[in-house]
Amino acid sequence: MDWQGQKLAEMLMQVLLVASAVAAFLAGYVRGDFQLMLLVYAGGVVLTALVTVPNWPFFNRNPLKWLDAAEAERHPRPQVSSAGAGAGGKKKSGKNK
Amino acid sequence: MHSWTQRLLTAATTAAVLLAAVCAAASALDAFHVPAVQAQAHVTKINRFHKQINGNDKVTLTFNVSANLESLFTWNTKQVFVFLTAEYENAKNSLNQISLWDHIIPDKEHANLQLEVKSRYPLIDQGSSLRGKKVHLVLHWYVMPNAGAMTQGRMALSEFKLPDAYTS
Repeated sequence: MDWQGQKLAEMLMQVLLVASAVAAFLAGYVRGDFQLMLLVYAGGVVLTALVTVPNWPFFNRNPLKWLDAAEAERHPRPQVSSAGAGAGGKKKSGKNK
Repeated sequence: MHSWTQRLLTAATTAAVLLAAVCAAASALDAFHVPAVQAQAHVTKINRFHKQINGNDKVTLTFNVSANLESLFTWNTKQVFVFLTAEYENAKNSLNQISLWDHIIPDKEHANLQLEVKSRYPLIDQGSSLRGKKVHLVLHWYVMPNAGAMTQGRMALSEFKLPDAYTS
């Protein structure tokens, strides 16, 4: 799931849950049946879970574009390499302890 | 939200919070419900009135109860517990309450009661103060909702006077 997909999933989840809660309350109140309210709400929750929990294809329409590995090698960042050497030294000392 | 377990937990938590909100709303609506209970009860016969071996007065009664409790029921009512007490005052206690009859009403269709009760529970005093005593019959009800707090109510129905002497 990409970033846009996660945003969409969260929005869908909240909208669907609130909508099913409102619908369940109205159905229960109009029919005067508390159990009906619970059943309608349970149905809404299951529907929401089916829509938003699995990693459906429509959550992956905006895939991240990573740079090629070759592109990074062509433009090395100097401070990264020096910091990497320092970190490497620390790691070695850590292992020896 | 990047993994399906995280989305499932988010959905479950949001759903639980909203369920609590819906139940609170259903319970809040009950606060605007004003029941109109109609009830009558009359003692028709004093079957037996005597002093027990341990010194306590004991009365067994027959009485009619007619009560329409349909107005207690809303869509958020699970059941109603209703009971009839004999209430009187004596030197020992400013209020004695003795349950003479009780009943659980499961739904609105069974909330219209017309019945004759023959000494379901005896009226037993703590001591021997019942001769010539004026006793009130009071109907109590407890409304148990599906969601929310239990509410209660009471209604004084009638009063009767016990005989000045034991019957046996």
